[in-house]
Amino acid sequence: MTDAIAKHLPGEVRTSMYRVIIKASIDQVWSELIRTDRPMPFFFNGQYDTPGLGEGAAFAMRTPDGKHTLVMGKVIEFEPPHRYAHTFRFTTSDDPVSIVRYVLKEVEGGVEFTLINEHAASDPVSKSEKQMAQGAKFICENLKALVETGKATMGGRMMLFMFSLMAPITPKAALSSNWPLERAPDLSEISQAAEEA
Amino acid sequence: MMSPESMDAVFQALASATRREMLDIVRNDPGLSVGAVAQRFDVSRVAVMRHLSVLEEAGLIISDKRGRTRHLYMNAVPIQMIHDRWSSEYSGLWAGRMLDIKHLAEQRRAREGRDDEAETDAQKTGEPS
Repeated sequence: MTDAIAKHLPGEVRTSMYRVIIKASIDQVWSELIRTDRPMPFFFNGQYDTPGLGEGAAFAMRTPDGKHTLVMGKVIEFEPPHRYAHTFRFTTSDDPVSIVRYVLKEVEGGVEFTLINEHAASDPVSKSEKQMAQGAKFICENLKALVETGKATMGGRMMLFMFSLMAPITPKAALSSNWPLERAPDLSEISQAAEEA
Repeated sequence: MMSPESMDAVFQALASATRREMLDIVRNDPGLSVGAVAQRFDVSRVAVMRHLSVLEEAGLIISDKRGRTRHLYMNAVPIQMIHDRWSSEYSGLWAGRMLDIKHLAEQRRAREGRDDEAETDAQKTGEPS
């Protein structure tokens, strides 16, 4: 259970899936997805802080100014340009850790991009899980828009703008000083939570 | 954003009470097998498969084959995109309102800042504080 780079949850899994077809090459989509050198508009303007994305790597998703941290995770699967998966937790809640997977597949006319959320079935549906369901749609739609048009959707840009207005009221718990990379959640934290439940 | 063909496919898929019911069933029970969906309907399995493939081609259902079983998941992204297609104009309106609030807040903050150093400020700018 201490295997940090195990690829799957041990118990039963509650899965949700989101998919969009992106008119671009698979390498274009992959490189936007794993971009670490600037904020990602499709990921709520989060920017990766990581020694380098690869299997076992820890990361923090921080705001563009670096002051706040939105998400912590650890890479559990990294197979360019087809598969990427990581553990996931919001910094602002203690809800159970989950898994996010991205699967890219070349299809006629572009790339089929699938985002998969996996939660231990023994955990009750948390507020984080509901937020992730909303977030997943935003990510699919805006990654598509970014790759195809060079910018996020109108609605997406509005939302990012509102986010920037709300920065001053971000909870203290999200301060980046509280979230060094060592706090990135291991997969084993999920199974532990599942066993306790 | 969404091609006219993709949008047609979504509306056509949703223009059937049976298919909407299938979508509800899959949404409420993610990962359900094709067989389990078919059991809930009186029509033939072939007819169910045909409905499911219409939903899948419209992108409203994702089927994930594991072993011999196809597991079904609802994909809400196309519906979200259609929603945004008609509603983002309104978010523009909201953003305008948010901007107003931001300006008001900034003006107030600036004014409060001035109150602290009312004398020096008033001397510098000649404005009433």
